[in-house]
Amino acid sequence: MKRFLRENGIGLVFGVLFLIVLVGQAFAGLAQFNDAQRASGLPDIAFWRYVTSASFGVDVAENWQSEYLQFFLFIILTVWLLQKGSPESKSLDKPGRETDKEQKVGPYATPESPKWAGAGGWRTSLYSNSLGLVMGLIFAGSWLAQSIAGVAAFNEEQLSERQDPVSWGQYLLEADFWNRTLQNWQSELLAVASMAILAIFLRQRGSSQSKPVGSPHDATGVEG
Amino acid sequence: MVVASISGCATVGDQEGAAAGVAARLLSAVEAGDGDAACAALAPETAKSVAEDEPCPEAILDKSLPRPGQVVETSVYGQWAQVKLTDDTIFLAAFPEGWRVVAAGCTPQASRPYDCSVEGD
Repeated sequence: MKRFLRENGIGLVFGVLFLIVLVGQAFAGLAQFNDAQRASGLPDIAFWRYVTSASFGVDVAENWQSEYLQFFLFIILTVWLLQKGSPESKSLDKPGRETDKEQKVGPYATPESPKWAGAGGWRTSLYSNSLGLVMGLIFAGSWLAQSIAGVAAFNEEQLSERQDPVSWGQYLLEADFWNRTLQNWQSELLAVASMAILAIFLRQRGSSQSKPVGSPHDATGVEG
Repeated sequence: MVVASISGCATVGDQEGAAAGVAARLLSAVEAGDGDAACAALAPETAKSVAEDEPCPEAILDKSLPRPGQVVETSVYGQWAQVKLTDDTIFLAAFPEGWRVVAAGCTPQASRPYDCSVEGD
Protein backbone atom coordinates (compact mmCIF):
# COMPACT_ATOMS: atom_id res chain seq x y z
CA MET A 1 0.00 0.00 0.00
CA LYS A 2 2.73 2.45 1.04
CA ARG A 3 4.65 1.59 -2.09
CA PHE A 4 1.56 2.06 -4.25
CA LEU A 5 0.97 5.54 -2.78
CA ARG A 6 4.62 6.48 -3.28
CA GLU A 7 4.64 5.31 -6.89
CA ASN A 8 1.34 6.97 -7.80
CA GLY A 9 1.55 10.20 -5.85
CA ILE A 10 1.06 12.61 -8.75
CA GLY A 11 -2.12 10.99 -10.06
CA LEU A 12 -3.57 10.38 -6.61
CA VAL A 13 -2.87 13.81 -5.11
CA PHE A 14 -4.06 15.72 -8.16
CA GLY A 15 -7.11 13.44 -8.47
CA VAL A 16 -8.11 14.02 -4.84
CA LEU A 17 -7.45 17.77 -5.07
CA PHE A 18 -9.59 17.86 -8.24
CA LEU A 19 -12.54 16.29 -6.42
CA ILE A 20 -12.21 18.59 -3.40
CA VAL A 21 -12.03 21.68 -5.58
CA LEU A 22 -14.92 20.51 -7.79
CA VAL A 23 -17.11 20.11 -4.70
CA GLY A 24 -15.98 23.56 -3.53
CA GLN A 25 -16.91 25.01 -6.92
CA ALA A 26 -20.33 23.37 -6.67
CA PHE A 27 -21.05 24.97 -3.28
CA ALA A 28 -19.75 28.40 -4.36
CA GLY A 29 -21.72 28.18 -7.61
CA LEU A 30 -24.87 27.16 -5.75
CA ALA A 31 -24.54 30.15 -3.41
CA GLN A 32 -24.11 32.49 -6.39
CA PHE A 33 -27.03 30.90 -8.25
CA ASN A 34 -29.30 31.24 -5.22
CA ASP A 35 -28.27 34.87 -4.74
CA ALA A 36 -29.55 35.52 -8.26
CA GLN A 37 -32.71 33.52 -7.55
CA ARG A 38 -33.48 35.61 -4.46
CA ALA A 39 -32.80 38.84 -6.33
CA SER A 40 -35.50 37.77 -8.81
CA GLY A 41 -37.92 36.87 -5.99
CA LEU A 42 -37.52 33.16 -6.68
CA PRO A 43 -36.91 30.29 -4.25
CA ASP A 44 -33.48 28.73 -3.61
CA ILE A 45 -32.70 25.52 -5.43
CA ALA A 46 -31.20 22.42 -3.80
CA PHE A 47 -27.58 21.29 -4.14
CA TRP A 48 -28.36 18.29 -6.35
CA ARG A 49 -30.54 20.32 -8.65
CA TYR A 50 -27.70 22.82 -9.04
CA VAL A 51 -25.01 20.22 -9.82
CA THR A 52 -27.24 18.79 -12.56
CA SER A 53 -28.02 22.24 -13.96
CA ALA A 54 -26.79 23.76 -17.21
CA SER A 55 -25.29 26.61 -15.21
CA PHE A 56 -22.91 24.29 -13.30
CA GLY A 57 -22.31 22.20 -16.42
CA VAL A 58 -21.12 25.10 -18.55
CA ASP A 59 -18.88 26.46 -15.79
CA VAL A 60 -17.18 23.07 -15.46
CA ALA A 61 -16.97 22.26 -19.17
CA GLU A 62 -15.55 25.61 -20.24
CA ASN A 63 -12.54 25.06 -17.98
CA TRP A 64 -12.10 21.43 -18.92
CA GLN A 65 -12.03 22.11 -22.66
CA SER A 66 -9.35 24.76 -22.31
CA GLU A 67 -7.14 22.56 -20.13
CA TYR A 68 -7.33 19.69 -22.60
CA LEU A 69 -6.76 22.08 -25.51
CA GLN A 70 -3.64 23.31 -23.75
CA PHE A 71 -2.24 19.81 -23.34
CA PHE A 72 -3.32 18.78 -26.84
CA LEU A 73 -1.52 21.74 -28.42
CA PHE A 74 1.49 21.33 -26.20
CA ILE A 75 1.81 17.64 -27.05
CA ILE A 76 1.37 18.13 -30.80
CA LEU A 77 3.30 21.37 -31.35
CA THR A 78 6.32 20.31 -29.31
CA VAL A 79 6.90 17.57 -31.88
CA TRP A 80 8.19 20.34 -34.16
CA LEU A 81 8.60 23.49 -32.05
CA LEU A 82 11.70 23.90 -29.93
CA GLN A 83 12.69 26.35 -27.18
CA LYS A 84 16.39 26.76 -26.57
CA GLY A 85 17.24 26.29 -22.90
CA SER A 86 13.77 25.08 -21.89
CA PRO A 87 13.20 21.75 -20.16
CA GLU A 88 9.80 21.73 -21.94
CA SER A 89 11.57 21.37 -25.30
CA LYS A 90 13.38 18.47 -26.93
CA SER A 91 17.04 19.01 -27.73
CA LEU A 92 17.54 21.34 -30.67
CA ASP A 93 18.74 18.61 -33.07
CA LYS A 94 15.55 16.57 -32.80
CA PRO A 95 12.65 18.48 -34.33
CA GLY A 96 9.94 16.36 -35.94
CA ARG A 97 8.67 12.84 -35.40
CA GLU A 98 12.17 11.32 -35.13
CA THR A 99 13.31 8.00 -36.55
CA ASP A 100 11.75 4.60 -35.81
CA LYS A 101 14.98 3.68 -34.08
CA GLU A 102 14.86 6.71 -31.78
CA GLN A 103 11.17 6.06 -31.07
CA LYS A 104 11.65 2.30 -30.61
CA VAL A 105 8.84 1.34 -32.98
CA GLY A 106 8.42 -1.48 -35.48
CA PRO A 107 11.58 -3.60 -35.71
CA TYR A 108 13.26 -1.38 -33.11
CA ALA A 109 10.74 -2.14 -30.38
CA THR A 110 12.27 -3.81 -27.34
CA PRO A 111 10.76 -6.68 -25.33
CA GLU A 112 9.68 -4.08 -22.75
CA SER A 113 7.98 -1.86 -25.36
CA PRO A 114 4.16 -1.64 -25.39
CA LYS A 115 2.77 -4.34 -27.68
CA TRP A 116 1.41 -1.98 -30.35
CA ALA A 117 4.76 -0.13 -30.61
CA GLY A 118 6.20 -3.20 -32.30
CA ALA A 119 3.05 -4.45 -34.05
CA GLY A 120 3.51 -2.33 -37.20
CA GLY A 121 0.77 -1.03 -39.52
CA TRP A 122 -2.26 0.90 -38.26
CA ARG A 123 -1.79 -0.25 -34.68
CA THR A 124 1.67 1.32 -34.39
CA SER A 125 0.45 4.45 -36.21
CA LEU A 126 -2.53 4.77 -33.86
CA TYR A 127 -0.48 4.08 -30.75
CA SER A 128 2.21 6.53 -31.92
CA ASN A 129 -0.41 9.31 -31.84
CA SER A 130 -2.64 8.07 -29.04
CA LEU A 131 -1.74 10.69 -26.42
CA GLY A 132 -2.47 13.66 -28.67
CA LEU A 133 -5.53 11.92 -30.11
CA VAL A 134 -7.13 11.23 -26.73
CA MET A 135 -6.35 14.73 -25.42
CA GLY A 136 -7.80 16.19 -28.62
CA LEU A 137 -10.94 14.08 -28.35
CA ILE A 138 -11.48 15.05 -24.70
CA PHE A 139 -10.99 18.70 -25.71
CA ALA A 140 -13.54 18.40 -28.53
CA GLY A 141 -16.02 16.57 -26.27
CA SER A 142 -15.65 19.14 -23.48
CA TRP A 143 -16.05 22.02 -25.90
CA LEU A 144 -19.19 20.42 -27.33
CA ALA A 145 -20.48 19.89 -23.78
CA GLN A 146 -19.73 23.56 -23.03
CA SER A 147 -21.79 24.61 -26.04
CA ILE A 148 -24.73 22.37 -25.11
CA ALA A 149 -24.79 23.32 -21.42
CA GLY A 150 -23.95 26.89 -22.42
CA VAL A 151 -26.98 27.36 -24.67
CA ALA A 152 -29.27 26.06 -21.91
CA ALA A 153 -27.71 28.32 -19.25
CA PHE A 154 -27.75 31.25 -21.68
CA ASN A 155 -31.41 30.67 -22.46
CA GLU A 156 -32.27 30.47 -18.77
CA GLU A 157 -30.75 33.92 -18.42
CA GLN A 158 -32.52 35.13 -21.56
CA LEU A 159 -35.90 34.08 -20.17
CA SER A 160 -35.15 35.66 -16.78
CA GLU A 161 -34.52 38.92 -18.67
CA ARG A 162 -37.76 38.55 -20.71
CA GLN A 163 -35.94 37.75 -23.94
CA ASP A 164 -36.37 34.95 -26.45
CA PRO A 165 -34.20 31.82 -26.19
CA VAL A 166 -31.76 31.01 -29.02
CA SER A 167 -30.99 27.75 -30.83
CA TRP A 168 -27.71 25.86 -30.40
CA GLY A 169 -26.55 27.11 -33.81
CA GLN A 170 -27.33 30.71 -32.90
CA TYR A 171 -25.57 30.30 -29.56
CA LEU A 172 -22.33 29.36 -31.33
CA LEU A 173 -22.35 32.91 -32.74
CA GLU A 174 -23.23 34.54 -29.41
CA ALA A 175 -20.70 36.65 -27.51
CA ASP A 176 -21.36 34.55 -24.38
CA PHE A 177 -20.02 31.38 -26.04
CA TRP A 178 -16.89 33.06 -27.38
CA ASN A 179 -16.23 35.08 -24.24
CA ARG A 180 -16.37 31.92 -22.12
CA THR A 181 -14.15 30.10 -24.65
CA LEU A 182 -11.51 32.74 -25.33
CA GLN A 183 -11.07 33.87 -21.72
CA ASN A 184 -10.02 30.31 -20.91
CA TRP A 185 -7.87 29.81 -23.97
CA GLN A 186 -5.83 32.96 -23.42
CA SER A 187 -4.96 31.98 -19.85
CA GLU A 188 -3.88 28.49 -20.86
CA LEU A 189 -1.69 29.77 -23.68
CA LEU A 190 -0.10 32.33 -21.37
CA ALA A 191 0.62 29.61 -18.80
CA VAL A 192 2.36 27.40 -21.40
CA ALA A 193 4.43 30.25 -22.81
CA SER A 194 5.43 31.37 -19.29
CA MET A 195 6.41 27.86 -18.25
CA ALA A 196 8.50 27.28 -21.37
CA ILE A 197 10.31 30.61 -21.04
CA LEU A 198 10.70 30.96 -17.26
CA ALA A 199 12.10 27.44 -16.95
CA ILE A 200 15.05 28.51 -19.12
CA PHE A 201 16.31 30.84 -16.40
CA LEU A 202 14.65 29.69 -13.18
CA ARG A 203 15.02 26.41 -11.30
CA GLN A 204 13.02 24.31 -8.86
CA ARG A 205 15.38 21.90 -7.21
CA GLY A 206 14.18 18.32 -7.51
CA SER A 207 11.22 19.04 -9.78
CA SER A 208 10.70 16.97 -12.92
CA GLN A 209 9.57 20.19 -14.60
CA SER A 210 12.86 22.01 -13.99
CA LYS A 211 16.41 21.59 -15.14
CA PRO A 212 18.90 20.69 -12.41
CA VAL A 213 19.81 23.86 -10.50
CA GLY A 214 23.34 23.90 -11.85
CA SER A 215 22.40 23.35 -15.51
CA PRO A 216 23.37 26.20 -17.83
CA HIS A 217 20.60 28.39 -19.25
CA ASP A 218 21.20 27.15 -22.78
CA ALA A 219 20.97 23.44 -21.93
CA THR A 220 17.90 22.20 -23.84
CA GLY A 221 15.87 19.05 -23.36
CA VAL A 222 17.21 18.41 -19.88
CA GLU A 223 14.87 17.61 -16.98
CA GLY A 224 15.74 17.39 -13.32
CA MET B 1 -36.63 22.16 -25.87
CA VAL B 2 -34.02 21.26 -23.39
CA VAL B 3 -33.14 21.23 -19.83
CA ALA B 4 -32.90 20.69 -16.13
CA SER B 5 -35.89 19.52 -14.25
CA ILE B 6 -38.20 21.24 -11.83
CA SER B 7 -39.04 18.07 -10.06
CA GLY B 8 -36.50 15.29 -10.13
CA CYS B 9 -38.07 13.04 -12.74
CA ALA B 10 -40.46 15.27 -14.69
CA THR B 11 -39.65 15.13 -18.40
CA VAL B 12 -39.14 18.26 -20.46
CA GLY B 13 -42.48 17.53 -22.16
CA ASP B 14 -44.22 17.34 -18.75
CA GLN B 15 -42.70 20.65 -17.75
CA GLU B 16 -43.67 22.35 -20.99
CA GLY B 17 -47.21 21.09 -20.56
CA ALA B 18 -47.35 22.25 -16.95
CA ALA B 19 -45.99 25.70 -17.79
CA ALA B 20 -48.41 26.10 -20.71
CA GLY B 21 -51.24 24.96 -18.42
CA VAL B 22 -50.50 27.67 -15.84
CA ALA B 23 -50.21 30.34 -18.55
CA ALA B 24 -53.58 29.29 -20.00
CA ARG B 25 -55.09 29.22 -16.50
CA LEU B 26 -54.12 32.85 -15.93
CA LEU B 27 -55.66 34.08 -19.18
CA SER B 28 -58.79 31.92 -18.79
CA ALA B 29 -59.31 33.22 -15.25
CA VAL B 30 -58.97 36.83 -16.44
CA GLU B 31 -61.41 36.16 -19.30
CA ALA B 32 -63.89 34.64 -16.79
CA GLY B 33 -63.47 37.64 -14.48
CA ASP B 34 -62.09 35.41 -11.72
CA GLY B 35 -59.39 37.65 -10.25
CA ASP B 36 -58.64 35.31 -7.34
CA ALA B 37 -57.83 32.42 -9.67
CA ALA B 38 -55.78 34.71 -11.91
CA CYS B 39 -53.71 36.01 -8.99
CA ALA B 40 -53.16 32.44 -7.76
CA ALA B 41 -51.29 31.79 -11.01
CA LEU B 42 -48.89 34.71 -10.41
CA ALA B 43 -45.46 34.56 -8.74
CA PRO B 44 -45.45 36.33 -5.33
CA GLU B 45 -43.36 39.32 -6.51
CA THR B 46 -45.56 39.74 -9.58
CA ALA B 47 -48.78 39.57 -7.54
CA LYS B 48 -47.31 42.16 -5.14
CA SER B 49 -46.45 44.48 -8.01
CA VAL B 50 -49.92 44.11 -9.57
CA ALA B 51 -51.51 44.90 -6.19
CA GLU B 52 -49.70 48.21 -5.82
CA ASP B 53 -52.80 50.44 -6.02
CA GLU B 54 -55.69 48.05 -5.51
CA PRO B 55 -56.07 44.40 -4.45
CA CYS B 56 -54.56 41.92 -6.92
CA PRO B 57 -57.88 40.18 -7.82
CA GLU B 58 -59.28 43.50 -8.99
CA ALA B 59 -56.11 44.97 -10.47
CA ILE B 60 -55.27 41.92 -12.61
CA LEU B 61 -58.60 42.24 -14.43
CA ASP B 62 -57.69 45.80 -15.49
CA LYS B 63 -54.36 44.84 -17.09
CA SER B 64 -55.82 44.32 -20.57
CA LEU B 65 -54.48 40.79 -20.85
CA PRO B 66 -55.56 39.09 -24.10
CA ARG B 67 -57.99 36.18 -24.30
CA PRO B 68 -56.44 32.74 -24.02
CA GLY B 69 -55.35 31.61 -27.48
CA GLN B 70 -53.56 28.62 -28.88
CA VAL B 71 -50.18 27.68 -27.43
CA VAL B 72 -47.72 28.23 -30.27
CA GLU B 73 -44.45 27.29 -28.53
CA THR B 74 -43.23 26.48 -25.03
CA SER B 75 -39.59 26.68 -23.95
CA VAL B 76 -38.30 25.44 -20.61
CA TYR B 77 -34.74 26.17 -19.46
CA GLY B 78 -33.84 25.39 -15.86
CA GLN B 79 -35.94 27.49 -13.53
CA TRP B 80 -37.58 29.50 -16.33
CA ALA B 81 -40.20 28.95 -19.01
CA GLN B 82 -41.69 30.95 -21.84
CA VAL B 83 -45.09 30.21 -23.32
CA LYS B 84 -45.93 31.82 -26.64
CA LEU B 85 -49.65 31.99 -27.38
CA THR B 86 -51.36 33.39 -30.44
CA ASP B 87 -51.95 36.78 -28.76
CA ASP B 88 -49.55 36.85 -25.81
CA THR B 89 -46.17 35.77 -24.54
CA ILE B 90 -45.91 34.69 -20.89
CA PHE B 91 -42.79 34.12 -18.77
CA LEU B 92 -42.91 31.72 -15.83
CA ALA B 93 -40.54 30.62 -13.06
CA ALA B 94 -40.36 27.42 -11.02
CA PHE B 95 -41.63 27.40 -7.44
CA PRO B 96 -41.99 24.49 -5.02
CA GLU B 97 -45.73 24.39 -5.80
CA GLY B 98 -45.14 24.49 -9.59
CA TRP B 99 -44.85 27.08 -12.35
CA ARG B 100 -45.99 30.61 -11.59
CA VAL B 101 -46.36 33.54 -14.01
CA VAL B 102 -43.64 36.15 -13.61
CA ALA B 103 -44.65 38.31 -16.58
CA ALA B 104 -47.67 38.37 -18.91
CA GLY B 105 -49.12 40.57 -21.58
CA CYS B 106 -45.67 40.72 -23.15
CA THR B 107 -44.97 42.08 -26.61
CA PRO B 108 -41.61 41.68 -28.34
CA GLN B 109 -39.33 44.63 -29.02
CA ALA B 110 -36.47 44.45 -31.49
CA SER B 111 -33.20 43.44 -29.71
CA ARG B 112 -34.66 44.43 -26.34
CA PRO B 113 -36.55 42.61 -23.58
CA TYR B 114 -40.28 42.08 -24.06
CA ASP B 115 -42.53 44.89 -22.84
CA CYS B 116 -44.94 43.32 -20.33
CA SER B 117 -48.15 44.79 -18.89
CA VAL B 118 -47.92 42.43 -15.88
CA GLU B 119 -44.57 41.79 -14.19
CA GLY B 120 -42.72 42.06 -10.89
CA ASP B 121 -40.51 45.01 -9.99
